[in-house]
Amino acid sequence: MILLDRVTVIYPNKTVALSGASLHIQPKEFVTVVGASGAGKSTLIRLLIKEEVPTSGKIIVGSIDYDTIDKANIPHLRRKIGVVFQDFKLLPNLTVYENVAFALEVSGVKNAEIKRAVPKILQLVGLSEKAHHYPGEISGGERQRTAIARALVRNPKILIADEPTGNLDPKNSWDIIELLLKINRFGTTVVLTTHNKEIVDALKKRVITINRGRVVKDEKVGKYSL
Amino acid sequence: MITLWRVFKSGFRNTFRNAWLSTAATIIMAVTLLIMTFFAFSIFFVRSQLNEVQQKIDLTVFISDDAKDEQIKALQSKVLQTPGVDSVEFVSKADALKRLEDSSEEGKKLAKSATEIGNPLPASLEVKLKELDDIGGINKQIRELPEAVIITETSYDSRDDNRKGVIENVIKISNGVTRVGGILSVVFLIIALLIIFNTIRMAIFTRREEIEIMKLVGATKWFIRGPFIVEGSMYGVIGATIATIALIPIGRVAGQFLVEKFNAGQAMAYFGTNFWVVILCIYGLGILIGALSSWLAISRHLKL
Repeated sequence: MILLDRVTVIYPNKTVALSGASLHIQPKEFVTVVGASGAGKSTLIRLLIKEEVPTSGKIIVGSIDYDTIDKANIPHLRRKIGVVFQDFKLLPNLTVYENVAFALEVSGVKNAEIKRAVPKILQLVGLSEKAHHYPGEISGGERQRTAIARALVRNPKILIADEPTGNLDPKNSWDIIELLLKINRFGTTVVLTTHNKEIVDALKKRVITINRGRVVKDEKVGKYSL
Repeated sequence: MITLWRVFKSGFRNTFRNAWLSTAATIIMAVTLLIMTFFAFSIFFVRSQLNEVQQKIDLTVFISDDAKDEQIKALQSKVLQTPGVDSVEFVSKADALKRLEDSSEEGKKLAKSATEIGNPLPASLEVKLKELDDIGGINKQIRELPEAVIITETSYDSRDDNRKGVIENVIKISNGVTRVGGILSVVFLIIALLIIFNTIRMAIFTRREEIEIMKLVGATKWFIRGPFIVEGSMYGVIGATIATIALIPIGRVAGQFLVEKFNAGQAMAYFGTNFWVVILCIYGLGILIGALSSWLAISRHLKL
């Protein structure tokens, strides 16, 4: 469950990134967030992974109230939320396998458990064959699938995908979206932001439209319209 | 435990990633440790030599043959109460003769002829001082005591200027070595701190993407910081190893020279028995410098 209650973010240079935005996402939902560049989508995602603190308003994810979580627990919070980005954010000097394993290593998972979990997740995203390739040796779509595998390997309840198809061609984009739908069917809440009208319209899922820091539209089965 | 091991592993790996900066950091660390060891040893050596000289030249107060036991006792207790005096020992006429006899073959002959003429050696008080610098002042104070009537003369009165000059020189050298050594050590310490600080800062900068990803996948603060501290300490360990390897031949040659020229066998033996302590100190100091500069770089440049 994700709950934002009248959240406002004003940056030190007085830019208003979000202004009184409220939204409620149920567990296991698939939600697409759309909006023009600078509408506040990225701020929303930064709030959810607690890279950003709201100027006012309340955020609750799962049973965690973001106001009361202490600093030392932020890493633990981030382990419960998987995030993928447009630019993949993979480590170039680690292989696909090592990039995924890295997420488990930093959280103190035992080697035996890593050896068990990583091949399984690579199979889910269809990268078993490329496990020992470096990010530079695989396609954009495969890189994004590596990033998704890394986000999923710890079984997060929520997967946030920030324009995951932004750098991909249509074929690869659809592969990624289908992967996200599959993950959602397994019970993970998926929050997707995108600029791709075709994808949003074809998904026939809930669409939240943000404009100038406000939620201007929230439809059960939405279309892309700004 | 597994996390600690991963932090160490990552720190080791990173040490060898940026070869040029790592080399510079290691060399300056080794040089700093060598300089600090060299001056620590010099100060120790000069001090121990000074100590030996000091023991030889403490103040001797000669007492008139007419003095009565009570007078001597009174003088002894007054001298002991004089500020700057460490201890006072009474040497009787017979003791003095015995000493002369034991000193050498020559002394034996002298003592024999002295006995024949009725032991002309005077009784004395041997005064040990806390600080060598006060010798003149203390001599004056003792001479001014009311009990001083039984004093015939003191070693200070009869001392020629040359001996005084030697003592003053030794003190000057000792102070000089301490000062120069202290300043140079501090200067190199600061250089080492700065260079390692910069190496770690560069490492933080080149690895900012990795740090961002680590944060993203939920690495704790110490999982991110730890490897940098390990890296800094590694420069200390490698630097200390180089310094130790360099020190062994240097120590051997210098030791031989000092033993031959300065009769410094005692000081060198002391160093020999404490060899491992010295090595341990070098490593400890290296790790401390490395970890401290890493810590400074992290707290300034790694915002988590």
